[in-house]
Amino acid sequence: MQRHKILVVDDDPDLLRALRLRLKAQDYDISTASDGYSAIATAQKERPDLIILDLGLPVGDGFVVLERLQTSNPLSSIPVIVLTARDPQNNEDRVMKAGAAAFFQKPVDNDELLNVIRVSLPRPESARAPWPS
Amino acid sequence: MDPQNTQVLLIEDNPGDADLVRLRLIEAKNTSEVNCVSRLSDGLASLANSQPSVVLLDLNLPDCHGAETFRKVLDKAPNTPIVILSGQDDEALATKALHQGVQDYLVKGDFTSKHLERAMRYAVERQALVRSLEISRKQQLEFKNRFLSHVSHELRTPLTCIHQYVTILLDGIAGPVAPEQNDHLKTVLKSVNQLHAMIRDLLEATRAESGKMRVEPRCIAVDGLIHQAVAMMRPTAQEKNVALEMGLDQRIPLVHADPDRVLEILINLMDNALKFTPPEGSVVVKASMVETDPGMIYVSVSDTGRGINTEAKALIFERLFQDPDTIDSNRTGLGLGLYISKELVNLQGGKIWVSSEPGQGSTFTFTLPLYSLASLLMPVVTYQGQMRPSFVLARVDLIPLRNPPRGNWKETWQECLEVVRRCVYLDKDLVLPPMAAQGPGEAFYIVASTDLQQAGIMTTRIREQLERVEDLSSKATVAISLVPVEFEPGKADISLEAKVQVLASRISEMIVDDMQVRPVREPARK
Repeated sequence: MQRHKILVVDDDPDLLRALRLRLKAQDYDISTASDGYSAIATAQKERPDLIILDLGLPVGDGFVVLERLQTSNPLSSIPVIVLTARDPQNNEDRVMKAGAAAFFQKPVDNDELLNVIRVSLPRPESARAPWPS
Repeated sequence: MDPQNTQVLLIEDNPGDADLVRLRLIEAKNTSEVNCVSRLSDGLASLANSQPSVVLLDLNLPDCHGAETFRKVLDKAPNTPIVILSGQDDEALATKALHQGVQDYLVKGDFTSKHLERAMRYAVERQALVRSLEISRKQQLEFKNRFLSHVSHELRTPLTCIHQYVTILLDGIAGPVAPEQNDHLKTVLKSVNQLHAMIRDLLEATRAESGKMRVEPRCIAVDGLIHQAVAMMRPTAQEKNVALEMGLDQRIPLVHADPDRVLEILINLMDNALKFTPPEGSVVVKASMVETDPGMIYVSVSDTGRGINTEAKALIFERLFQDPDTIDSNRTGLGLGLYISKELVNLQGGKIWVSSEPGQGSTFTFTLPLYSLASLLMPVVTYQGQMRPSFVLARVDLIPLRNPPRGNWKETWQECLEVVRRCVYLDKDLVLPPMAAQGPGEAFYIVASTDLQQAGIMTTRIREQLERVEDLSSKATVAISLVPVEFEPGKADISLEAKVQVLASRISEMIVDDMQVRPVREPARK
């Protein structure tokens, strides 16, 4: 099966490298961007299966990126997981309204992040198990 | 004070005394504009329209006497300086008024024009000073809160980096790690987690202080949360060789509280209890009803630690309090945990306290308000002083197609709840406030005062209306179930209230049973 491609966007190069290592170990293909403009450009070029997005970014912050992704037809279906140091009390609702799939505040529990990545990635229709009632 | 533009509101019912004030002002060549009223109500009305430079206030007016007079003026115009005109016999009261925000007082018949002018001038100056102090205090508090929130945000970024690299090493992603190195890395991770908890507490305490802490109460089963908290703390207890036990009453009624916050309080109290309990000791979490306080559930966390002395007990819920007797190695927090817990309990309408004897262990108890189903049911299950004949409990499940749900799930289910509310008869059906989410989805319960057949018509209507909710079919599936409520109303001579109470208890039991068979929610985010 083809490997899933994840775009990680963060302006901290050390964290970017750590997330790349962490996600590569889970057998994902990783590309990275460190500002809002190149995040959108990379998303357009590479069509990732999922995006991990920081909010505080130079050249167009996370909200701008989210909005651009949502209004761009082929990109709007890509699930976006927001991973930020910002306060959920002021940002979580806004981020979810802007179309994100999940909101995590840094530092994040790795198992939780990996779990949300797993369930947010597109799956074939037949493999989508109904939730037990 | 610019004497040329001074406006004086004189509230004085004795024309002689009023004239005397005017005379003294003329003597002082003061050109203040004096607006004289003889009743407090007229004075308050004038204050509502315009703010004078100073109020001269007699304490015995036709419509108000004594302390009440200046309190009312202070309430109406807290920023306007007040000088009291007191009689010889109420000078003591005038002195008392100074402690409550009045600027000065003059004894009638005993002041010269100079006294009057100086009292007015100083009252205005002092009031301005008090005001600017107040503003600067508020600014400082605001600045401190902004600073703390900024700092905690900035600290998170490097902390995340440390956390990531330590876990990368620990998980062997960067190659094999020797057992000793592994131990060291675990110590680093432990400290990182402590630091993380402190940053969180700092921000939470800042919120509590500035009144920005939020709780979202729902109808919840507290025993489920206790099970969850115990499961989360079990590893810590095992590591410390402390027994962790539960003592739950058979039937614990539902409470009206925020599930995430209750879990936070439980974890905090249990974490403290485990911290201060020596190996071989035990920590017990209990939930029970207390006869003398029927509106509340009592939740307690007891330990067999060394107890808390009287002085520490008095201060333990204060911000930044740390027991000086605590061994340093046990101090792993900022001393904000109990303060935050107290604020959270208060916000949810409960109380928290500690009982402890040195050497005998401690018990922290908090209360949460019961969810009073009976009072919600009363208007819909009765008609003209009689119970309606039959009742059905319906459950509408919204099950998201993905877990966790995509998009703004909260907005989606809230919209659905509104739709459900519009589909029932307000006079005989009740959509209960949302329950704590047990699975990934949401469940709404409806009590319908009707038979199964009519309830079936209601649920068909609900289903049709939910199908019209935009995009719902791409986000969630809807499942609706119906169960008749079978209950024994008891003897014919019991009051209607008692009958409704019996029905409410029966419905609560059905919901609690129903919630227990549904999947348990995933652990909350760390």
